[in-house]
Amino acid sequence: MIKIALYGKGGIGKSTCTANLSAALASLGKRVIQIGCDPKADSTINLLHGDAVIPVMDYMRKYDEEPERIEDISKIGYGGVLCIETGGPTPGLGCAGRGIITTFSLLEQLELFKKYKPDAVLYDVLGDVVCGGFAAPIREGYAEQVLIVTSGEKMALYAANNIFSAVKNFEDRSYARVRGVIMNRRNVENEEAKVRAFTEKAGIEITADIPRSADIIKYEDMGMTCVEGDPECDAAKRFTALAQTLIDEDEKNA
Amino acid sequence: MKNVSRIIPCYAADTSGVCSALYELSGMTVVHDASGCNSTYATHDEPRWEDKRSDIYISALTEMDAIMGNDEKFINDTVSAAKDRKPLFMTVCGSPMPMMTGVDFDAVAEEIEKRSGIRTFAMHTNGTRSYIEGADEAFAAVVREYARPLEKIKNGVDVLGLTPLDFKLGSDVSIKKWLCENGFETVMTLAMGDTLESVKKAAAAEVSLVVSAAGLSAAKYLKNEYDIPYICGVPTGRAFSRKLADALKNGEKIAYPLSQTPDVLVIGESIQALSIASSLTEELGISANAVCTLPCDEEIRNGAFKADCEEDIEALLSELSPETVIADPFYKYILPEDTRLVALPHFAFSGRCFERDLKDIINTDIGELIK
Repeated sequence: MIKIALYGKGGIGKSTCTANLSAALASLGKRVIQIGCDPKADSTINLLHGDAVIPVMDYMRKYDEEPERIEDISKIGYGGVLCIETGGPTPGLGCAGRGIITTFSLLEQLELFKKYKPDAVLYDVLGDVVCGGFAAPIREGYAEQVLIVTSGEKMALYAANNIFSAVKNFEDRSYARVRGVIMNRRNVENEEAKVRAFTEKAGIEITADIPRSADIIKYEDMGMTCVEGDPECDAAKRFTALAQTLIDEDEKNA
Repeated sequence: MKNVSRIIPCYAADTSGVCSALYELSGMTVVHDASGCNSTYATHDEPRWEDKRSDIYISALTEMDAIMGNDEKFINDTVSAAKDRKPLFMTVCGSPMPMMTGVDFDAVAEEIEKRSGIRTFAMHTNGTRSYIEGADEAFAAVVREYARPLEKIKNGVDVLGLTPLDFKLGSDVSIKKWLCENGFETVMTLAMGDTLESVKKAAAAEVSLVVSAAGLSAAKYLKNEYDIPYICGVPTGRAFSRKLADALKNGEKIAYPLSQTPDVLVIGESIQALSIASSLTEELGISANAVCTLPCDEEIRNGAFKADCEEDIEALLSELSPETVIADPFYKYILPEDTRLVALPHFAFSGRCFERDLKDIINTDIGELIK
């Protein structure tokens, strides 16, 4: 099973990349689950044509009890992707990291993986590994690989390095390893060289190179991924190629 | 406010369940909790501390350790203590604060085991669940780890789920005596009056006797892995004890005769309460039933009442208005006005408050209990 967590600086395009990768995996015939791990709860919105799923934390707040069925807290999006959002506490209150842990425990109780039998699970995680909760997706049993989304912008690379170091801190544990970087281009000067300098120093690869694309923005405005909107556009092809690489590797390792 | 107890106390927590379950097995139990809490697990919820030693430690978690996620200190201290004490195994347990900060006990246990070379189990306690769930996880962990295929012992019995949180000290001796009188050989009494060596022989039993819901996961593991059937029940009252002995011989599940309009209600640990209620019916013809106030399999609870918070227990008692309730003395404060209480102190509920009145109910005259 492909089990990947995407991390990166806030606003760098993690949700865009995750949703497009989910859509690409689904279009290649895979059964996919995407779990948004961010209080903003907007990870899966472009797989659902804007018709958002109720986040787990919102469900608990609204009904004051745990959901009994996976269907209560999920929606099926493009290509059959099962969409789940952890959500978070009331802004300014509570503990968002704890919300992620609670959601994961709940999904375990509901036997999500056993019942849904996915080929791929993608975790779209808030900007940085700021506390134990945001490391939950890389714990044993969840993601096995981390993809860091970054551009060549200084602060994006700074965050990427922090994430890399945080994951490295757990190398004594059976946690996920950093697989590589999704270079989500912002067309800054010497962008590739800057990103490559980071990856070479870290000893990781640039796993995908996503161009700055008007198609991505155009289809997001329509509530969908570019993989759904125009599978032949350059950006969609890049996501499909990434999906195919992951599938090939997974089959090889099976 | 559901689950809030205004009048009655709450049951001992999952962490106490782990400590109690493993107390006699020569392991080391480390609870990741603030300093000062050791007495809760090791003395208030543990009557054996006066005459039996056990290595139970508290990590003395500080506010800054919690904020900074200082797992390293916890790991180092535990490894250091293990080097001094040389336990046969170790167990690390959570409490409310590590639950909030999301400490990954599986990963922590793995690191402790790597550094100390001593088998280390992670318990997923958080101090908010009942002792049954903690003890159940602990019993299952040691049985999974140490039970090995062995030649069967004829009429061998594993007794599972035995802790002083539910049974008076000495009950293990009474159960062994009762088993012997009925032609059985005790393989292990997990875990009062026994050692880790017996756990290693668990698979030699022909049948398991589950005396509290804390023994269910271990029993299910032994059933799935070694095809050892299990019977749930406490040998209490002569007639019910005979029925239980027959069930053990045949390996057949026991049916509890329970009334939906009972004159007597028994409140307490599910399997014990069901056994007492059945015993009253079998032996004295009294219409009786149990109120399971603690977690238990639906299959076992079948026909009994379930109420797991004060509000629901009070409402159920008011609705059923039984003539008599057999329960811990602290329940008297929420009984209907005309209902009589027969006191059956429950250590996991009232601790040492009624310790001198605790009863050994194994194979005793049930008529004496209801007097």
